[in-house]
Amino acid sequence: MTTTVPPAERADVGPPSLRRAALAPRRRITNRVAMVAITLALVVAVVPLAWVTVSVLARGFELLSWQFLTEDIPNSYRRHGPGMAPAIVGTFLITGMAALMAIPLGVFGAIYLNEYGKQKPLAQVIRTMADVMTGVPSIVMGLFIYTVVVVATGEQTGFAGSLALACLMLPIVIRSSEEILRLVPDDLRQASLALGARKWRTILTVVLPAAVSGIASGALLAVARAAGETAPLVATIGIAFTVNPNLFSGQNTALPAQIFRNASQPFEGAQERAWGAAVTLVVIVFVFTVLARVVVSRFAIKER
Amino acid sequence: MTTRTTQEKAAPPDLTGRSGGVRTERLFSGWTLATGFLVLAILALILVTTTRQAWPAFQDMGLGFITSSTWDPNPASGNPVFGALAFIYGTAVSSLIALLIGVPISIGIALFLTELAPRRLRGLAIMVVDMLAAIPSVVFGLWGVLVLAPLLVHVYRWVHDVAAPIPGLNSIFGEPVGTGRSFMTAGIILAIMIVPIVTSISREVLSTVPQANKDAAFALGATQWEMITGAVFPHSFGGLVGAVMLGLGRAMGETIAVSLVIGGATNITPNVFAGGNSMAAVIVQQFGESSGTFTAALIGLGVVLFALTVVVNLAARLVVRRAEVQLRGAAT
Amino acid sequence: MNRRMLSRLVLAVVAVAVLAGCGGGNDNGGSSGGGTANGSGQLKGSGSSFQDAFNQEVISAYKEKAPDVTVTYNAVGSGTGKQEFGKGLTDFAGTDSLVKDTDGVPAGSFVYVPTVAGPITVSYNLSGVDKLQLSPDTVADIFQAKITKWNDPAIAKDNPGASLPDTAITVAHRSDGSGTTSNFTKYLTVAAPSTWKLGSGDTVAWPSGTQGAEKNTGVAQIIKQTDGGIGYVDYSDAVETKLSLAAIKNKDGNFVAPSLEGATAAMAGATVKDDLTYDPLNASGADAYPITSPTYLLLKNKYDDANKAQLVTDFARYMLTDGQPIAKDVNFAALPSGLQQKALAQLDKVQS
Repeated sequence: MTTTVPPAERADVGPPSLRRAALAPRRRITNRVAMVAITLALVVAVVPLAWVTVSVLARGFELLSWQFLTEDIPNSYRRHGPGMAPAIVGTFLITGMAALMAIPLGVFGAIYLNEYGKQKPLAQVIRTMADVMTGVPSIVMGLFIYTVVVVATGEQTGFAGSLALACLMLPIVIRSSEEILRLVPDDLRQASLALGARKWRTILTVVLPAAVSGIASGALLAVARAAGETAPLVATIGIAFTVNPNLFSGQNTALPAQIFRNASQPFEGAQERAWGAAVTLVVIVFVFTVLARVVVSRFAIKER
Repeated sequence: MTTRTTQEKAAPPDLTGRSGGVRTERLFSGWTLATGFLVLAILALILVTTTRQAWPAFQDMGLGFITSSTWDPNPASGNPVFGALAFIYGTAVSSLIALLIGVPISIGIALFLTELAPRRLRGLAIMVVDMLAAIPSVVFGLWGVLVLAPLLVHVYRWVHDVAAPIPGLNSIFGEPVGTGRSFMTAGIILAIMIVPIVTSISREVLSTVPQANKDAAFALGATQWEMITGAVFPHSFGGLVGAVMLGLGRAMGETIAVSLVIGGATNITPNVFAGGNSMAAVIVQQFGESSGTFTAALIGLGVVLFALTVVVNLAARLVVRRAEVQLRGAAT
Repeated sequence: MNRRMLSRLVLAVVAVAVLAGCGGGNDNGGSSGGGTANGSGQLKGSGSSFQDAFNQEVISAYKEKAPDVTVTYNAVGSGTGKQEFGKGLTDFAGTDSLVKDTDGVPAGSFVYVPTVAGPITVSYNLSGVDKLQLSPDTVADIFQAKITKWNDPAIAKDNPGASLPDTAITVAHRSDGSGTTSNFTKYLTVAAPSTWKLGSGDTVAWPSGTQGAEKNTGVAQIIKQTDGGIGYVDYSDAVETKLSLAAIKNKDGNFVAPSLEGATAAMAGATVKDDLTYDPLNASGADAYPITSPTYLLLKNKYDDANKAQLVTDFARYMLTDGQPIAKDVNFAALPSGLQQKALAQLDKVQS
């Protein structure tokens, strides 16, 4: 016969203590160490961010002036002094043209994926391939455009750079726009269809306006990413020391390309210009990123 | 006397046939399909043109393209040899270092955001990660080569001195190169750059863990860390692996920042403080001056890199999606 | 701001971008001639970073003389310069190395125009050591990573009485295709034939443990940043970067420090071939600096566009005449007058 100790005779340990001190020390210490480590992770991430920001601001700020933004780039690396206007103009033009090509195409592609294709096999393939394309190294894009466009036309132009950047932006815009379109409530579509509008009309007049803020935000983020890309531009746009407003004729330059060229120079003048260009680029990218967040928060689809 | 209002019988609305709507509808849907196709077309074009141009180099070198470590485009005598092994090694080592440093930090931040952060701090932390993502890679490269690398040399020297008597470790932490431009520095810069993407996906994955699981762990008396290891990690393991692989894909493809800080040397060595080179960096350095088989070889490097990043990305998306499906199924 | 205003704003931004993109209107490339005395148009050149400093000064000076001509020179390295020239992306190229079959420029389609010359320095950065002498064999072994520390006996032998620290040597070389590499390695092949094993060319298989950088300025940057660094840099950039320069033992057995006089002495003895290439490397002469490098412009011998041919030859002529005195200001050696005349005559060969 098994003997069990009746409950009344068990040693009285009382209700379990929920105080932290009652935990076994090993468990307590492990927990504390882990929590500290997790908080530390955030701190560690802040360090390089703060360091880079401080370096860029401190070193680039001295050079930042109206002349820096409007004067031509000195054609000799040894000269001190300002001038990044051609690169600033180049960045805006090249990225602007790339955005002009990639954003409309991307939005229409997203419309196909979300409104027409949905879960059909072709749409699934396109969706997966768009994901794959976001991972293509930017240098491969640059090589591709170099062989297909630059060598074929015999010229390095700003437009070739725009093409390379557009290839980079297209899958990003498609995927982010598709996510936004998915968020648009179906009720809106069904109401419009019930009133007799065709699908295309529904999309253009009901779905897009509802999604425009999210799409704009995604597009701005893609533009910010493209503005900072260097590798696709290196082989495709050449160099320019004066402002070239024409994308289709003549070489051009852009801020990331100038930073890259000047980063390996031993001369102080060139290094200063690199930091100055870095400040300008970071400010531009930052403005676009903040604008993207603002657009979303102020114009987002209001939940009912 | 009643007045009868007569109403003309309105014709029912025409929902069929030949109104302008149908043609426009077909045009519109056709147009959107075409733009969707554009993605496939561009990708296919990239694949086809690059592989076709790289073919002469593959033919010449055969499997030696990826197994040989000699890269000599202009030999004193004999035919040029294009062996990419040193660059594949460089890409692998710098990416591995990036993962070893970046993944714990990213998952730590993601855990912080989902488990520890008070509401106010959460917005701040998200902003920090976003800002990290916004800084262009060339700016990291500039900072790396002019600020970080010269400072890290001293750190490397100290580590080397400490590790010198320990066998095994002393070949990994060997003599640091004087400029600081090495696999390690490249790995550190890459780690900083992959933190945003790994963090944001990890955060999404971690936030899908059902509160019920977490509460159950607490009810059983687990500390917070035990809850994380017991309820959160098993649930989100697949998704986290996917996030890590996406970070790996990003690290492998990074070109400009790496080319500035990795040292430009063709080198296979366990010493992480030595200079080396990566596939993407080599392409950027030597593309302009190449012709014929040399160009084919560089494009071939691009093809190998492309193939690797495609495989890693596809695998990552598969893993993340499968984990999501599993999780949603379990949560219902 | 409501949604309608937002879409209007987006439209406005897009419109501005479009206008800016294609409304560039008058591009700086009006190629039909006429206008001022020196014509108008655009000239694109690229190539050697060795001659970059000189070229950019000449371009700035030329702007005064021919304000309607925009000349750009992109220092991408001799290798890339020749490729771009061969593909028709540029109107002229700068190179310090001769054109080979694999360089992408069809034989017989171009002419060499020598412009200036200069020393290739063996620059170094070693705290506490201001003067250094090196013989060709020592240089060869340093760059082949056979000598790894500054206090190596071979270096001590070249520098009797000097106290050399125990610092590790960091070798810096070019990672891009470079005429400077070509001439430096050619010199080592000729001056240290039994020691130098890596051959010569625009790119060379440097040993592991060395560091590569783009352009002469990239190599200079590595040396400047690194205590114990050594590398080959053109004289102009080395002086501007304030690097220490090593004196090299020349063919006559004298240790000669790099200087313009040494370069001119080396050029004096060199034979000029019919195509105007010449080789002042390892020249004899008591004061000759042994690693003197020539540098050339490549012009097509037939341009499709008459105006372009005129612009290019005018610019080259300027470089060979009024531009020569500028060379000294940026630490290059001007051409001796005999070679200058031959180069000017070469320009007449350019047709349109």
